[in-house]
Amino acid sequence: MQPTEHRSAVGQLADDLRWLEDHCRRQPDLAAQAGTLRLASALTRNVIGPFLEGQPACPLHICVVGGAGAGKSTVVNFLAGDKVAEANPQAGFTRHPTAFLPPGPGFQWPSYIGFMGPLHRLTSDKPADTDEDVYAVKRIPVPSGANEKFAHPLSEFVIWDCPDMTTWASEGYVARLMEVAALSDVIVYVASDERYNDAVPTEFLHLLVKAGKAVVVALTKMRAQDADAFIAHFKQEILGRLPKLPTGETPAVPVVAIPHMSIAERTDPTGAGAKYRVQLLNQILVQCESDDLTRARTVTNAAKYLSTAGDGLLDVARRDLAELDSWKQAVNAGRATFEDRYRREYLSGEQFRRFDRFRERLTDLLELPGTGRVLGGIFWALRSPYRWTRDYVFGLVARPDVLNLSEQTVLTGALTGWLDTLQAEALRKAGTQQSLWRQIAVRFDSELGPQARDRFATDFRTFELKESEDLEQAGKALVDGLEKNPALLYTLRGGKFALDLTTIGSVVYFTWPPGWFLLLIPLGVSAAHQFAELATRAVAEGARHRVRSHRESLVTGSLSVPLTTWLAEWPTTGGTSFEKLQQVLRRVPDAIRTMEERVKAKVNEITKPKDESPALSAPTPGAPTT
Amino acid sequence: MSADEESGSLRPPLAELGPPQPLLRTLAPLLRGLERPLRAWLDSRRKFPLSMMQRAELEGLADDLKRHSDTLDVEKPLLVVMLMGGTGVGKSTLLNALAGGPIAQASFTRPTTRDPVVYFHHSVKSERLDPALRVCRLVQHDRAGLEQKVIVDTPDLDSNDLTNRDKLIALLPVADIVLYVGSQEKYHDRLGWDLFKEQRQRRAFAFVLNKWDRCVTGESGVQPDEDLLADLKAEGFQNPLLFRTTAQLWLDAAKTHSGSGIPPKPVDLPAGEQFGLLRNWLELGLTRLEIEAVKARGVGQLLTQLTRIAETIRPPDLSAEAEKVKAAWDRTLEEEADVQADVLVGTLEPYQTEVEHHFSVEDQQRFRGLMAAYLRVTTRLRYAGSGLRDKIPFGGLKGKLLGGRVDTPVEWNLGAFVQECARTAGERVLDQRSTALINRLLVEAEAKGFPLTLLTDPATSAGRLDWRERMTLAVIEALAEVEHQATNPTGFRRLVRGMLSWLANTLPEVALVATVGMLLWNFFVPTPSVTPGMFEMALVVLIPLVVIVTLHLLILLLLPVRWPAIRHEFRKQLGVRMAAELSRAYLAIPGEVSAAITDERKQVDALVAEAKQVGDWLAERQQAARVAELYGK
Repeated sequence: MQPTEHRSAVGQLADDLRWLEDHCRRQPDLAAQAGTLRLASALTRNVIGPFLEGQPACPLHICVVGGAGAGKSTVVNFLAGDKVAEANPQAGFTRHPTAFLPPGPGFQWPSYIGFMGPLHRLTSDKPADTDEDVYAVKRIPVPSGANEKFAHPLSEFVIWDCPDMTTWASEGYVARLMEVAALSDVIVYVASDERYNDAVPTEFLHLLVKAGKAVVVALTKMRAQDADAFIAHFKQEILGRLPKLPTGETPAVPVVAIPHMSIAERTDPTGAGAKYRVQLLNQILVQCESDDLTRARTVTNAAKYLSTAGDGLLDVARRDLAELDSWKQAVNAGRATFEDRYRREYLSGEQFRRFDRFRERLTDLLELPGTGRVLGGIFWALRSPYRWTRDYVFGLVARPDVLNLSEQTVLTGALTGWLDTLQAEALRKAGTQQSLWRQIAVRFDSELGPQARDRFATDFRTFELKESEDLEQAGKALVDGLEKNPALLYTLRGGKFALDLTTIGSVVYFTWPPGWFLLLIPLGVSAAHQFAELATRAVAEGARHRVRSHRESLVTGSLSVPLTTWLAEWPTTGGTSFEKLQQVLRRVPDAIRTMEERVKAKVNEITKPKDESPALSAPTPGAPTT
Repeated sequence: MSADEESGSLRPPLAELGPPQPLLRTLAPLLRGLERPLRAWLDSRRKFPLSMMQRAELEGLADDLKRHSDTLDVEKPLLVVMLMGGTGVGKSTLLNALAGGPIAQASFTRPTTRDPVVYFHHSVKSERLDPALRVCRLVQHDRAGLEQKVIVDTPDLDSNDLTNRDKLIALLPVADIVLYVGSQEKYHDRLGWDLFKEQRQRRAFAFVLNKWDRCVTGESGVQPDEDLLADLKAEGFQNPLLFRTTAQLWLDAAKTHSGSGIPPKPVDLPAGEQFGLLRNWLELGLTRLEIEAVKARGVGQLLTQLTRIAETIRPPDLSAEAEKVKAAWDRTLEEEADVQADVLVGTLEPYQTEVEHHFSVEDQQRFRGLMAAYLRVTTRLRYAGSGLRDKIPFGGLKGKLLGGRVDTPVEWNLGAFVQECARTAGERVLDQRSTALINRLLVEAEAKGFPLTLLTDPATSAGRLDWRERMTLAVIEALAEVEHQATNPTGFRRLVRGMLSWLANTLPEVALVATVGMLLWNFFVPTPSVTPGMFEMALVVLIPLVVIVTLHLLILLLLPVRWPAIRHEFRKQLGVRMAAELSRAYLAIPGEVSAAITDERKQVDALVAEAKQVGDWLAERQQAARVAELYGK
């Protein structure tokens, strides 16, 4: 697999998740989901993408998170071993993340495409309360008086100081926090004696555990004598209720207590505060036995999290999809009514009188051609009294047809009814600004209605052509069936002629000498003709019935089905957010699945040869030194 | 600055106050008078819809009105001061420090306080407390300074135990003054701040920054109190009451101090600590005058809120839209009536011979004698089919001829026959058109600015009327009208008709008499007498017959009763009648709905006016008490 291919696949997935995140932010009732989606897209971008591309595992990232004023900056200083982060009494002071690099050129700063997403690296020195989508990178100075062999205990780590997630301003910058949290391999979760049971930070902790991050908890500010009881209490109240890791294991979270310190202890991490610092460093280094394995764990967990949480992530679209479904249902119900109306209002009363001439043609065909016409004329004359009587009786008994509305009137009326129902429904259901029904209702008069009518008009023209062609063809087929089959035609003609002659002959033979009984001749001829007529009528009626049922399928096929499809898809076309939503929903689950497989393959690739080659298996980070 | 100096400036000049007027006791019945119509309005059936949120808000307001009217209707109203803040900021410690002893549980386990603690004077009977407070832990004291005040310690609003937040929110409506307690970590937290912003228009707010010792770290940057003050300023609190406290130290001091009296001031207080100031403000700063002012201000805020919500639920004036809708509907209904009339006439088409027959028979009533006899015979012959048809069992054929649905009535019966036609037309076309019509009308109404939801119900119920019955009636009436026109023509036709009738009723008889007379004359008078032959005898019949046939042809020519002639008139009449029926059912709806809405609008206006009246009355009596800093802008 080529790195560029990975890059585009990962980039696409990250973009899709980002788009979903923005989609959520635009809807107030979904805004809570935006953070989770940001974490997902950041995991894809910052963790999985670089890994698949083959970026080096070093440096690992430590991310210090916690509620406002819990002591994040103090913990960062302890990790750095120097007073590098601004500790500030103002709650929610830090508004963008800052990376602290250990002294010395230990590794290259990650610079692959998509790193940190929309966050830019600050080039100039700005205070930590700069409220922009940026991150700062600072280097931890070499402590004065250090000898040349000095090695920072976290020499392969980047330490991130993050903004909080509890103050009222945090809504604006919690996305930055998510970005860094996703990137990190180890999370240091700072909780003060005041904060540790707060809902918002705990929820954040749960999210991190679900994403499979290794977490070290630093409890701060309690009285030193309470420390043990406090840790026990914390383990029971908070850690006892943690969710499972993506691997299904219960997370093992070490807890370090950093009690309320004096100014001296606080400002001198390597000296007076060293006892707390060593504990913390040890716990972090225990979590990271080697760079590659740690990174492999982070990546595997991230991929697992995405694949298990994938459906949950897409839940944000559930309401939209449900609305889309209900729209489609409404459209389909409208289609059923449309077709029903056509059936009842038009087809049920339509006699297809144009079809009668084909029946007459058929009867005509049975007459003798050429000179036979003379004979036919004689028979015709003989049948006259019968014809008159028949016509009179039929005129008395038959009723005229019900007068139909024209087909176009019926169809246009049905279409108007269909669109009106949809519009009324849309207006009734138009709720919030973002709702699909609302968008439909707003754009109905200007776009949907006219467009639908235009489409219908075009479809109707083709339908009209098709239907008259259809009728002609059915009639023609009827006539042609006989005309193109001379054997049958002449058999029938001859048969009819023979029947006529036989009738006349038998009348003459049986009633000889001729007298009043000769009147039986026209009667007989008429009866023979009536027989022929009944036969053609039966054939023609069969064909007419077929035309009727075919007309129904013609309306379905060329009018209602295309319009239904178009209407049902309409909200998801034309570059609307629903179109994008559908695309994203189709793409994301597949992308997550492939990505997980690739990650698995790559992890195997890395871990196996490493087990065999002793040169690479040596743990890279040095033992913790203070 | 020291606590004592500050407290002095907070205390109002007591000497200048006269005896307080019974402002609050007068207010109570006024509020009750507001609550009653509000409840009635909420319970009544209304056309203009109320969203769930609006309804809940209004019900909350009604509850608040009731609560206020109850609590104000006493000699010495109680002021409820409620502590609100995140877990661990020290609300309970603050109350303990105020009480000088551990009355509320405080510890490092979070959240500590799960049940609210109510701290009040022993002279106050617990029945006087608000029902919401009576179920809390009650702690009594005997401090005169806090006699009229009830201090409530509440559970937190931000811990993992979400029921605590619910408890707090259930208690908040009782509070007159909320003491917003923050710490260095939490003064800026979103959950508390959101709740403050939501509540600030409803009650008084004072602020406490507890654990002040943690704020003065000597580090660089903005101090939390300055930060909080800046935020409050942005929220409209120019000069808020902010107390910087370290309650724990005061509590520790009180513990070590044995015996009665005011506990001593702790020794190692951080700079700018103001717990003493807070205590002074609670005990002395909030006098009876302040309490009344806070209470009155609370009522004022409630009334403002009521007015504000009333503005949002005030139905719009739709009378202009109703007119527009009516005009638009009129057009649509006319078109619809046209189509419906077409369909009905089309359905009558198969029965044209019956209709003709009926008209002919009716038309014959005016003829007598020979003409009548002749017409009876010819009509019978001509319309043999319409009688015949029903006597021959045609089986399936009859059904086919009528689209497979109608059973022809056995007897020629206008009512039954028309009913049958209306049923057929209804089943085939008109029922579906009625449903479609409603949607059409609703969509048009919305396009004219009349909300569709308001019209849905009445329009649907109009669509559910028995339209077949109405169509039957319309057809019968139209037929009767056409018949009436045919039998009673006007103008020239009347003249022609009268003349023809007269001729038809006299000429045949005259011809008969004349022929017979002529024959008799020829037989008797001339000599030799002419014996009439076969032909002459036949003339007796033939001549009147010729006269009758001629007259009949004339009648048919000049006054036709054939279907095509009837049809046109019938279609016109039917169109008019259907239009009338449809208009009667639908056209009144927009007007009625808009009238009902206008009524509701008036009710809301009346409610607002009453609230305003009470508000004005209250404003006139606002006393000069120092409470403005408890309310932002």
